[in-house]
Order: sequence, then C-alpha cells, then structure tokens
Amino acid sequence: MLDIKLPEFEKKVYPELELSLLEPSYKINLRGKNRDFFTKAGKLLSIMLPIESNTSANIKNINALWLSPDEWLIYGKDIDKNLEINLNNEISKLKYGSVTNVSDQWVIINFKGKNIFEVLSKGSPFNFNDFKGKKNVVVQTLLNNVDVILHHQEINDLNLFVRKSFSEHLWLWINDSSRFI
Amino acid sequence: MSKFRINKTNFVDQTNRISFKFDGKTFFGFKGDTLASALIANGIHLVGRSFKYHRPRGIMTCGSEEPNAICQINDKSNLTEPNVRATEIELYEGLEANSQNCWPSVQFDIGGINNLISPFIPAGFYYKTFMWPKSFWKTVYEPLIRKTAGLGKSPIKPDPEIYDHKHVHCDVLVIGGGISGIISAKLSAKNNLNTILIDDKKELGGSTIFQDNEIFKINNKISKDWLLNEIHEIKKLKNLQIKTRTSVAAYHDYNYLLASESLNDHLPKNEKDRSVRQRLWKIRAKKVIIATGAIERPLVFNNNDRPGILLANSINKYLNYFGVTCGLKNVIFTNNDSGYETAISLHKKGLDVKIIDLRKRSGSELIKETEKLGIKIHWNSTITNTFGYRKINSIEIMSLSEDGSNVIGEKNKIFCDCLGISGGWTPMVHMHTQSGGKLNFRETDQVFIPKEFSDNRISVGSSNGHFELDEIVKSTNQTVKKFLHIQDTDLDDTNISCSKELEKRNIWLLPNYISIGKNKSFIDFQNDSTAKDIKLAMREGFKSIEHVKRYTTTGMATDQGKLSNMHALGIIAETAAVKMGSLGTTTFRPPFTPLTFGTIVGRSVGKFFDITRKTPMHEWHVKNNAEFENVGQWKRAWYYSRDNENMHQSVQRESKAARDSAGILDASTLGKIDIKGSDATEFLNRVYTNAWSKLSIGKCRYGLMLNEDGMVYDDGVTTRIGENHYLMTTTTGGAANVLSKLEDYLQTEWPELDVWLTSVTDHYATASICGPNSKKILKKLFSDIEFNDQNFPHMSFKNAKIDGIDCRIMRISFTGEHSYEINIEAKYGNSLWEKCMEAGKDFNITPYGTETMHLLRAEKGFIIVGQDTDGTMTPIDLQMDWIVSKKKYDFIGKRSLYRSDTMREDRKQLVGLLTDEPNTVLEEGAQIVYDENKKPIEMIGHVTSSYFSPNLNKSIALAVVKNGRKLKGQKLLVPMRDQTINVTVSDFIFYDKNNERLNA
Amino acid sequence: MFLINCPYCGERDQSEFSSGGEAHIERPKQPTELSDDEWADFLFMRKNIKGIQFERWNHSHGCRKWFNLIRDTSNDKIHGIYKMGEKPPKV
Repeated sequence: MLDIKLPEFEKKVYPELELSLLEPSYKINLRGKNRDFFTKAGKLLSIMLPIESNTSANIKNINALWLSPDEWLIYGKDIDKNLEINLNNEISKLKYGSVTNVSDQWVIINFKGKNIFEVLSKGSPFNFNDFKGKKNVVVQTLLNNVDVILHHQEINDLNLFVRKSFSEHLWLWINDSSRFI
Repeated sequence: MSKFRINKTNFVDQTNRISFKFDGKTFFGFKGDTLASALIANGIHLVGRSFKYHRPRGIMTCGSEEPNAICQINDKSNLTEPNVRATEIELYEGLEANSQNCWPSVQFDIGGINNLISPFIPAGFYYKTFMWPKSFWKTVYEPLIRKTAGLGKSPIKPDPEIYDHKHVHCDVLVIGGGISGIISAKLSAKNNLNTILIDDKKELGGSTIFQDNEIFKINNKISKDWLLNEIHEIKKLKNLQIKTRTSVAAYHDYNYLLASESLNDHLPKNEKDRSVRQRLWKIRAKKVIIATGAIERPLVFNNNDRPGILLANSINKYLNYFGVTCGLKNVIFTNNDSGYETAISLHKKGLDVKIIDLRKRSGSELIKETEKLGIKIHWNSTITNTFGYRKINSIEIMSLSEDGSNVIGEKNKIFCDCLGISGGWTPMVHMHTQSGGKLNFRETDQVFIPKEFSDNRISVGSSNGHFELDEIVKSTNQTVKKFLHIQDTDLDDTNISCSKELEKRNIWLLPNYISIGKNKSFIDFQNDSTAKDIKLAMREGFKSIEHVKRYTTTGMATDQGKLSNMHALGIIAETAAVKMGSLGTTTFRPPFTPLTFGTIVGRSVGKFFDITRKTPMHEWHVKNNAEFENVGQWKRAWYYSRDNENMHQSVQRESKAARDSAGILDASTLGKIDIKGSDATEFLNRVYTNAWSKLSIGKCRYGLMLNEDGMVYDDGVTTRIGENHYLMTTTTGGAANVLSKLEDYLQTEWPELDVWLTSVTDHYATASICGPNSKKILKKLFSDIEFNDQNFPHMSFKNAKIDGIDCRIMRISFTGEHSYEINIEAKYGNSLWEKCMEAGKDFNITPYGTETMHLLRAEKGFIIVGQDTDGTMTPIDLQMDWIVSKKKYDFIGKRSLYRSDTMREDRKQLVGLLTDEPNTVLEEGAQIVYDENKKPIEMIGHVTSSYFSPNLNKSIALAVVKNGRKLKGQKLLVPMRDQTINVTVSDFIFYDKNNERLNA
Repeated sequence: MFLINCPYCGERDQSEFSSGGEAHIERPKQPTELSDDEWADFLFMRKNIKGIQFERWNHSHGCRKWFNLIRDTSNDKIHGIYKMGEKPPKV
C-alpha cells in the first residue's frame, strides 16, 4: 500500500492561540461564470456559490470560498471523490467551467483563539480590523511573503490555506511569531 | 546626593539607585534617569571628541537631536551598539557605555592634534589632498583615513536579540505626545475614531510637563498640571492606543509609516532575556496628525562647542524633569523669551544665573518677572569667546552694533560653569516633508512651516509653527475639529493665560572682532563644520544648499543636521544676499532617527532569511545524503554523495548509471497548470510556437513559449488529458510568471476564449525514471499496463493506478533515455518514490540530482531556458527552427521573428563546443574570441553550459556565438586567467543523434 | 507603498499587486500585416509621462484579476480604477 505522508505539524498551544493541521482534506477548485455553471454547482453542492467578494458560503460540512468573480475553492468534510466526479461530469465535461482537484495543492492550518490576528498581523499587510469581527469571510493575501487564503469561519476560528511546498516554512514562521505575541 | 542633583521630581525615582559604567568607571544614577542626566548629576559633561578636530565635547541637548553625546554601548559584547545618543538611553542596572572617537581616552586624545592643525584641514580637505600621487591612495591614504574615520565600532558577532515586525491599521495616527499631540489624540479617540498616539520618550507630555512657570496657565491650572491630568484622562480612552518609546522613522505615500518601538533596552540585563528588543510597526493610517513639536536652535559664535554649553531648554528639562542642574554658575545666551523660562527656573532653585540677550529690549511678562527677580540681563550683547578645556569656565561678551553686524565697546569676562544657548525654535517638519508636503518660509521668526494640509494629513502645535501656549491649544483644537469633522469640543472655551514674545532678533552668524578665518563657530557639531567652511565652499563656487552640504558635510552626520541645517541655510543666504525662503531646504529623508539593522530585518534572519519550498520527497533526499541547490525558492536535490564522493564524482557516477541502467529524479518542482475549456487547443496554438490542433488525446508534446518580442520565455511538455483538458508543465523557476502571463492574455487580449487555468504544481509529486531499464521497473510497478512502444509510445500518457491510487504516467524524456514520469497526489509522493526505489533495486536504480540532469540533457543538446537563454535568444538563434510553425497565422512573438534585427545572420546562436584537449572543462560564462592578438579583442560569445561527460569520456559545452550556425568546425579561443583554451565549434547534439535510445 | 482598491477585492496593500505597464495598448489582431515600424511601435514604444498615466495592474496575490489604474506619476496619487474592457473615467 502507498502510505499517506502529511506535513508533520503537531498541535501547538500558545497564549490565546492554538495551531493545528487540518489534513487530509478534499479540496476542489471551481472556475466558471455562466448561468449553467452556477446552477449546476449550486445543485450538486446544495449551496449557492457566494458572489459577494471576500465571503464564503457554507452548509453543514461544505464550504465554498469566493476567490474571484469566476473562481471558488470548495472544501469540507462532505467533499469527496464522488462529488468531484459529479461536478466534473456536469460542469467540466459539458464545458460550463472547470473542476480541478486541488486537495494536495493546499495545506490547511487551523487557528483558534483571541490572538489569531495578532500573529497574522506580523506578516500580513491586510487590515484585519473589520475582518476579525465577521464570520464566513475570506481573504487572499500574503503572510510572510507567502500566498495564503484565510477563511474566518467562526469568530476566533480560522483556516489558513498555504501551498503545500511552502507549508513547512510558513508553519515554522507562524510558530516562531507566536512565541512573542 | 551629588551637588548637581538638587531637586526631587515625579519622573525620577530617587529611592531606586542604579549603577552603571561610563568609560570603565562605575557611577550611580536613579531609575528614570537617562545616561545623560545621570552623567550630569555626577558632574560629567565631557563625553566625547569631535569627529574631525577631536575637540572635547559635552552633552548638548536632552533629546534625539543630540550631536555630541554619542556612545558605544556594551562594548565587547555581541550586542555592542555604536552611535547611541546618551540623551535617549534610559539608565538600567548593568549599563556600560563608552565615549567614542577618542584614543587613548576622552580626557587625553591624540587626535586632538587635528585641532591645532585645523587651519590646514578646511572644507573639502580630503577631496583636495588625497588625490595624488595616485599610487598613494591604496597604500598610504586609505589605510590612514580608515584608521581615523568612522564613528564607533560595529558589532562583530551575530545579534542574539529578537526583532519583530507588525502591521497595524488605524483611523488616526498622532505622531508626538506633547501638548498638541495629546489634545489631538483625545479629540480623535473621543470621537469614536480608532486612534494611535506615538511618542519616542518613555512618558507623554513633551516639554510642557516640566513647565512650572506660573505665568502659563490653562483653566487656572499651571500648564504642567493641566496636562498631567489630560494624560491621566486619555489613558482611560478605549479607542486610543498609546505607544511610548516609539519613534516614527519614515512617512511614506498613502499614510504608510514605519515606527520603531523599543521594548527592552531600558530593562535591567537580567530581565531582557528572550523578549523582543525592538518592534517595527508598519502603520497604515487613514489620517495622520503630525505633532512632532520643535527643537531649540543653538547660536553660532566663536568656540560655541565646549562641554558645559547646552541648549537652554535642555537645561530646564534636566532641572525640572530629572532634578539635576548642569551648572552652579549659569549664563543663558538667548535671542528669544524661552531662555528666560530656564533662567527663572534656575533662579528659583537658588542657582546663580545671568542672561545675555541679543535683543535690544523687550517687555513681555516673562521678562518683567525676570527683572523682578533681580536676574541680571545684558541686552544687545553677544558672546565673542568661551574658555575652559574640559568644561567651560568663562565667557567673553561684547555689545552689538545698531544693525547687529559688528561688535562694539569693551570685552567683558563672565565666569560660569554652564552656558545655555537659545537661538529660537525650529518646527520639526520632517514628517510633513517626508510625506510629500511642501514648506513655506516665515520671515518674522525665520522658520520653515508646512505650506499646506491635505485631507488626510495635518500638522499641529509647534511643528506647525505655533509657539505660544494659547495659540497651540486653540489652533490645535480648531485644526483637528475641521480635520476630523468634529462639532464641539471641551476645549472650545478654554481659558489660557501666558506670556507672549514681543521682540525678535535673529543673527545666524554672530559678529566677532576675531576674523572668521581665525575663529571656530561651529554649525554642525557632530561633523565639525564651521561657519568658515560654509563661506569657503561658497567662495569656491558652490551655490546650491545640496552641494554646500556635501562639500562641507554639514548635516550629514548621524543626527542628520537637526541642529545645523537652519544655520547653514541662514549663513548661505546672508553670504549670497538672497532670501532664505528662496533657497529651499535640503531633502529630509527617512529615517528620522537611526534604525538598527536588526529592526529593519525583523525575523527574516537565519532560517527565515528566505522562503524555502520543499517537495514531498524532500526528507528522503536529506536522509540519502543529498546536497541541495536553490532553484527559485525551491530546494532541489543537486547530487547525492556516496562514500565521501565529491560533487564531480557523484555526478559522474549518477550520469553513468542513468545511461547504463536506471536513474530517478524528483521532478515535482516543475510548474503544472491544468487547462480546461472548449478553446483550450486554440489557446495552446496561440501561446506556443508549434501547432497543437493535431495532438490527440493521450499524447504529449514539447512546446516553446516566446515573449511578444520573439525571445524564448519558457518551455515544457503539455499533455492532452481529454478533449478539452490539457496539463501544461513549465520550468521550475518560471511557473508563477507563466501562469500570470497566460491569465493576462486570457483576461485582456482574448476574453472570448473559453479557457480555465488552475495551478496544480503543489498538488502533484513527480518521479521521473529514465534509462534502458526504466521500462522493466515500470512493469514491476504497473503490472496491468503494457509498456511496449505500440501501446505506450514515446510522447504519450496513461492514467494508471498504483495500489488503488490514481496516477498519471507520461512517457517523456529530458535525458534522451527511454524515460517515464509518474505524477501522483503529493501526499503519496514519498511513498511512490520509495516504491520506485524498491522496484528498481535489481537494476541499480540511482537517484540523481539536478546537476546530473543538466549534464545528461547537455549531452543531448537540450536547452535549459534561463541557462542557455537569457532573454535575447529567439528559437532560430537556438537552432530550433523545427518548433516554429510556419502555418499558424499568429502566436505570441511570431511577428517579432521577422523583424530586421531578429533576422540578422550574425546574431549569437547556440552551438556545441569541444575542447581540443578533451579533459579540459570550460567555465560557464567564459568569453569566446577569434583572435587574441588583435586589440581590442572582440568577444564573439560565451559558454552557457559545460560538463565532463562520462558517457562520451570528454568535455562538452554549449555556447552562444555570433553567426554560430555557420561556424561548425571553426577553431576558437577561450582565454582564461592562466591559459587560453583551444576549442572547436561542433554540433550541439553530442550523444545519440538519431534518438535511438528513446525507444531502446 | 500604495493602497490599491482592487475592483474585485477592495482596498489592499501594494505588495499584493504587480504592475503591468501602460494600459490600452491593444495587441494587433493581424500582426503579420504590420510593418516593422508599426510592430515596433506596439512592442516597444511607451509614453512614460510625468503626470496622469493609465496603467495595467494585476492583483497577483489576491484574485489574480487584471484591471486598469490611473496614476499621476509625479506624486503617485491614484485617480481612478476600472475593470478591463471598461472605458476610463474622466480625470
């Protein structure tokens, strides 16, 4: 059997901050813009793709993150291979848009606690003043010069998406910065 | 208590004694002292030697403008820091400070000889003297200058401290915690605006909190007490963040400011451990209120630089804030009223004080009180000389002529041990001008003040040119109200009483009976430039302030001319008989005060110096002794050393194994872009030089991408996965740029195309297995696939499963060998790799790194974009005409291939080079020439790739050479430092020209 | 560091963006029919003016969308931002 090798990020606890790895998790990138695309995606995911910028929609265990007017990232416990195949058949194959498995493109690091934004502010130029008070908001920005997607799903509970090859470096950086909030 | 510690204050805790060392001697001070105040309390004024003449210098100010009292802190430790201003160092237990720029000691300094020979060291001395003979520069002048130049010593070991960066966003940033800053911050925060107030001192209050004169009252309270209450109030405001010990260093566009917060410098040594030393705040403010105040001006007269000569207001701060007096017999030399506040304070503490005033008379409230107290005032007088070597002991004064241009009458000598000087006040407009603001010159008191406000930036208080208490409070209130759209405030009907200055008289260079050439009237104390130097520069033809500044070095020391710039300008204006306002100022550049390198760098040190990207198989490479090469941000396995091999030996072994049996390469770093959409094929036709319409599903093709200028930009293999689905690979370093470029074309030039791009570089791990036994290894891994050439030909792909996990196998080759690439989801990458190693065991499967890959492909004459190309190579230059479609109407860069320049025949073209001596390996980058004897030697090209090929047993190289296409067989020369290497131009495919091994 | 109001994501720090040079230089539809001079004009010639300049920017570390931006090159003030394909607003 092939072994799964995930990043070796042990859960870490700092004052008012907890960091942990949220892997493995299934992730799908959706791109499209026509009406059929929205209809099909909405039906298969039982969720309307959010069209408001920097937001996410979620239902039970499916999250749809707005990335751009024609791009979304779907992840969550209820996302699986079957859903990917269905999306592919109903969207990609019918030329309504594109469906791409990006499960291993991104690594999710979960942040919990009051100090999330104190740490993120050390390496990100993004203004979190409003963001931290809202749930289901999303931002794509830079953290320590690495591209990240931040999904603030609940107040003081955030998932950070970083490209796999950068993840070890960024994990070390986050932990370093968390030492002296 | 020493005889200079005469006063108890709220700011210094005299129950908390602290010991420190200065120049090796132990002294005591108290918590709350600065190094400067503690030294003064110990009667020490002489703290350094001046830069050029090594004259004794003393503490002159109490703030960041200090030019003289700069110290080396904690000499001999890792952290030793030069050029720290004693006026800004908070005293802590264990502090060790040393004076700088003197040898063997500050009391007796050999460099002081420069003072005696100073007539021979005029402005521009170095420029003029050390010019000839030329041969002397390296051997004599430079070593000599180096020995005496520079301020302080830099640390020689790594800095163990932690420096941190943090972004912060606010509605309003107030810079400066003096009275106007406090008023502004309160108005802003009370108006529900998220506000930050920054001050560089440890406490808010500016110069008002040590103002104890009863003439100055706000709502019937002494201004100091009123302000202390305000400070108490604002500390309770929820919207207000107060950052003390924080200095704004830079003010950039769009209200982006950098401020350095000092977090543990003031703590005793044993409490500093493992905490952040300094934090650089990156502030983005919607609005900025500049309340940086003003600094006092010195006066320029003969010998105005002796220890014991301080700015008058600094004397007042030492007295009322720190409780120490700078002298027992004081003289205040002033041209304005503020010096009188100091004189009254000194008098009230029972200290002897006299006043010398340039003005003819004045009758303001302050002066009336001074006279009432019986303090002697010498009106219309100036100082012509000062005396005392290690500290001032007396001065000589004379009367001024009617117009102030000359001295008249008798010389009078006054004994003193401290001289306070005050030439008026200079608004700190640095922040305003750094942000792009312009200045106006105000003639009445000769100050530059902000010319205009913008919607998001204003200046208030004395940084805006308001110096009278009532003016400061009222105008700050009005300006901030308007700026922040506030209706009514508590300050609208404040009742203020204060003394108002009635007379002004400013003389930039005070007259003397000693000629300018023979006296020493210092302008820039730290760089030792005098009025004479400025006049000399102007006589020599320098007119612009920027030129005079650089020629005389006025304003170019670590204090950046905070005390000197105005006088330099004034003297230039006077000498040239032009209006000072028309001269303009020199440019105020960041940082306002020096920043440590640590603060600038933050945590980007050591392992965080640069970002590193790792492949899923990284740890396997580490365990197997790989050396790594940086490719972009990636760490790629470079070669795997076995049994203490050196790099050459490893590469030779790996290369041989890959051709003889089997090799395996981690190719996960290649960029991968998933392309979907009904116009995907058309899209590829437009972005690559070759044709894609006939590529059938399941097939792969190599593509070359150009820039619009026709130069090679990237290359890689693209696979057709489905009808409307392709997987493009790019070079490792080019991945992000290629994706961005393709998106650009899709979004802007061809929005009509139905194409979607998604990066999947990190989603897949790629193992590339090559060599004559690769097929056998693949068979072991994938028993259900037929690997014969018919079912699985070169340049095709198959979906496959390994242990039930989906993967893709591409039969493609970058080495010229029969070769396969397996793509699998990254989480299985390491396991797949180990499986391949296991399956290849019987075939001596050999992991090889990027160096071997480069060698193998060079044997085959395959280019590497970025190594054999440099942005000036067309496909034709690379002799890759075959990949440029003649039939396609258009593709990116096509038209440029028919420009007259790109069609020139004598362009540099890719060729092979063989050294006549087969064991000699050329250096990459080496220049190539025809003829060494014809001068100047014409460079006709250079070596781009060079290796010793173990498979051919000789040295091979790729090069670009002018007109190379036509030079096959031509003998050329590669001149090196120790020999000239003879080479012959060859075909650039050195190995298996007919591609027989691909299908072996 | 500018603050740039991405027409899709809102106000962001300049470090999230990359600049793509002068705007409104359309790629010729039929390049092969152009003379060397005409092609060189498209390829190389840029105004690079002091004053109001129309530029292309990409929110490369955000939504990856390209857009146009009007900047005064003498003081870096941004006078307008509009999507690709839209007409520039009056300045």
